[in-house]
Amino acid sequence: MQSSTPSSSYPASTTSLPFRSGTSITSNRISGEDEDPTDTTMTVPAVSSIFLDLPLIKDSHLETTSSEAQDETVKECLPFLTLQNFEPENLTEEGLPRLQRAKHIKFLKTSIEMTYPKGFTPMDSSRPWTVYWSLVGLHMLGEDPSQWRDRVIATAQQVQNPDGGFGGGAGQLAHSATSYAIILALVTVGGKEALDAVDRKNMWHWLGRMKQKDGGFTVCAGGEEDIRGAYCSMTLIALLNLPLELPPDSPARVNGNETFLTGLPEWIQRCQTYEGGIAGLPDSEAHGAYAFCALACLSIIGPPAKMIPKYLDVPSLIHCLSSLQHAPETGFAGRTNKLVDGCYSHWVGGCWSLLSAALGLVTTDLWSREGLARYILCCCQGDRGGLRDKPSKHPDAYHTNYCLAGLSAAQYVAEYVVPEGENSSETLDDELAGIVALTAPFQWRIERESEGPWSEEVKVMPVHPVFVVPVNRVKECHDYFETKSGF
Amino acid sequence: MGKYADSPEWADVVPISQQEHMPAPLAQIAYTDEYAEAMSYLRATMASNELSERVLALTEDIIRLNPSHYTVWLYRFRTLSALPTASLTTELTTFLNPLSLRHLKNYQIWHHRQLLVSAIGSYEGEAEFLVDMFAKDAKNYHVWSYRQWLVRHFKLFHSASELAFTEQLIGEDVRNNSAWNHRWHVNFADGDGLSDSGLVAKELEYAMGKIELAAQNESAWNYLRGLLAKGAGVEESKVVQFAVKYAGLDGGEVKSTHALDLLASIYGKDPAKKESAVQALELLADKYDPIRAPYWRYRLAMVNSGVAAS
Repeated sequence: MQSSTPSSSYPASTTSLPFRSGTSITSNRISGEDEDPTDTTMTVPAVSSIFLDLPLIKDSHLETTSSEAQDETVKECLPFLTLQNFEPENLTEEGLPRLQRAKHIKFLKTSIEMTYPKGFTPMDSSRPWTVYWSLVGLHMLGEDPSQWRDRVIATAQQVQNPDGGFGGGAGQLAHSATSYAIILALVTVGGKEALDAVDRKNMWHWLGRMKQKDGGFTVCAGGEEDIRGAYCSMTLIALLNLPLELPPDSPARVNGNETFLTGLPEWIQRCQTYEGGIAGLPDSEAHGAYAFCALACLSIIGPPAKMIPKYLDVPSLIHCLSSLQHAPETGFAGRTNKLVDGCYSHWVGGCWSLLSAALGLVTTDLWSREGLARYILCCCQGDRGGLRDKPSKHPDAYHTNYCLAGLSAAQYVAEYVVPEGENSSETLDDELAGIVALTAPFQWRIERESEGPWSEEVKVMPVHPVFVVPVNRVKECHDYFETKSGF
Repeated sequence: MGKYADSPEWADVVPISQQEHMPAPLAQIAYTDEYAEAMSYLRATMASNELSERVLALTEDIIRLNPSHYTVWLYRFRTLSALPTASLTTELTTFLNPLSLRHLKNYQIWHHRQLLVSAIGSYEGEAEFLVDMFAKDAKNYHVWSYRQWLVRHFKLFHSASELAFTEQLIGEDVRNNSAWNHRWHVNFADGDGLSDSGLVAKELEYAMGKIELAAQNESAWNYLRGLLAKGAGVEESKVVQFAVKYAGLDGGEVKSTHALDLLASIYGKDPAKKESAVQALELLADKYDPIRAPYWRYRLAMVNSGVAAS
């Protein structure tokens, strides 16, 4: 569908609210005091009331734990959203806080290079995540991650399991989440040596042991089965160009003709709830992070325009995800009646390009890109670098990466380029049965910015909409392993 | 020197230290001697696949230092399962319960619990323990997922006590979406509930009653929406009659954006009601929910083109 309404255009009802630092807020509006019309150095651009006004409807007569937490969140965010907490020199002409690039780079360099004190021992089973989050964050901030190539390879070697896959640390069981993080880190630094650091054959065997009869994947041997397992496993299979046929020792191999794809879209389908959103596993509650995992996983298996509408109720999914963009915070929450959190900037913000591809939308947006960017830039930047959940929380590498990925999702239009012959009349079932290699996730192009107030001072680099790594590195990886049909 | 190196009980084990790598791996941790030593003994016992009482003690030590250590948790369960003397019930009540209350956002604890309770074959005492967990965080995703597993595993669908529990939590906080989700699960996840028009009607009444308390509560509207979309025998006209009380068109009072939204969905399917659908969506886009204007305008375009978009 092509809508005639470009949704990212600026609202006409912009209220002009020049103010000086130290001005006060009355009700939910900023009021300027004693403006000198000739003093342009201290004026701040107007922020549209769309991004500031409190919702008109509120059930104030019945406060509960949820509504009190929501009120607290609005209260802590408003001084940032109104720009009251920023010095005018830290604002762009369009009225956005500048991205504190140098501070964030310093934060992530520290987070990847430092030796963590003993208090961080609980991080011992997820170190690969810190490496991945930091590297991709640095890429989005304009740094070249390849400068850490040798040390990323050393990290991968340290945690690679002799039976395949990567664990959280030396001698730990292989886990799909840490394997995902390591592979994405290797792809992000790029180069033959990094890509060759993976034992692909043993990875294939290990993934075969994770694949279950019901179509899903466990995250580790004897571990839980959830949608993270599905998305991470399919990411590994696609990026490493592993055979889709199951290894002989896979528990999912019953008739002998099963593949890694057998029953998987149906398993994902079972995760959609009555709310329209996606749960982490069948029966659980709809959650923004799992919506991304489901959409990305389906977009790995086949073309989003075919896979997503076939297996998910797209209108109700969009309904649910859209409602997670809150006013006046303008960022995303992860669940119904929960609070905004910077990390959902990616988990929910990253869903839209996949959904647009599913619906064939080219020029229509289904969400407020500027709203999301405002939340990230106003509320999530830590004073000393790094990005965070919300102003009352401390920054960390996880939130830094996923806030920046959300900013990237807001600033760029990712397009799925339909390859020649993909629109054949062949039914999807025949197609799925005939898939010999996963080509769909390699059809994405990011060649244009979205419409929005994106000056250089707030811009980040794009990332791949399915794999969340540098786009050119996905191509490099795909080209490299495309030549290796076996091991 | 250390707890294990000095212990005669462990004298037969040759610990496996973490290998040095060059160049240095990234995001390293300066382990305490205590953790590094315990891990080196763990590598050794895992390499020989030892399943023993002393391994239980070792895994407990490591879990206390790093409760997210999934490898150790799974090894611990394997060990417990192999030891005839080990009591799974004691593991639950004296080891796991206090640990769970201290580490709220931990996947491993809940998977371990699921393995234990599955092996024990009884859910006795579980509901009581979960009350303490929900008192700390009534929306904890892991705890709810575990409770949903309990319902499916022990076939507690339509159980009066499970329903009463959701009723209690919804009573405490009508916006607790996790409790609403659990209510749906208990009533409908067995597959038969949605075709029982009596049950669907009862739940519709329940949702409407809660909407009357707080009309802008999305959780209750989503529940109602789910019933309308999937439940047997729901009269759409009855839902419309209810929703219009909260969403006056033609200049009437609007008390709930969710009522406007639902009316737009229902009216949008009926060409004769198209104008009303357009009005509801325009109110949402322009006045009541402008941050989501792109979405409401998309819905408008769909209504205008005659396609149902929600």
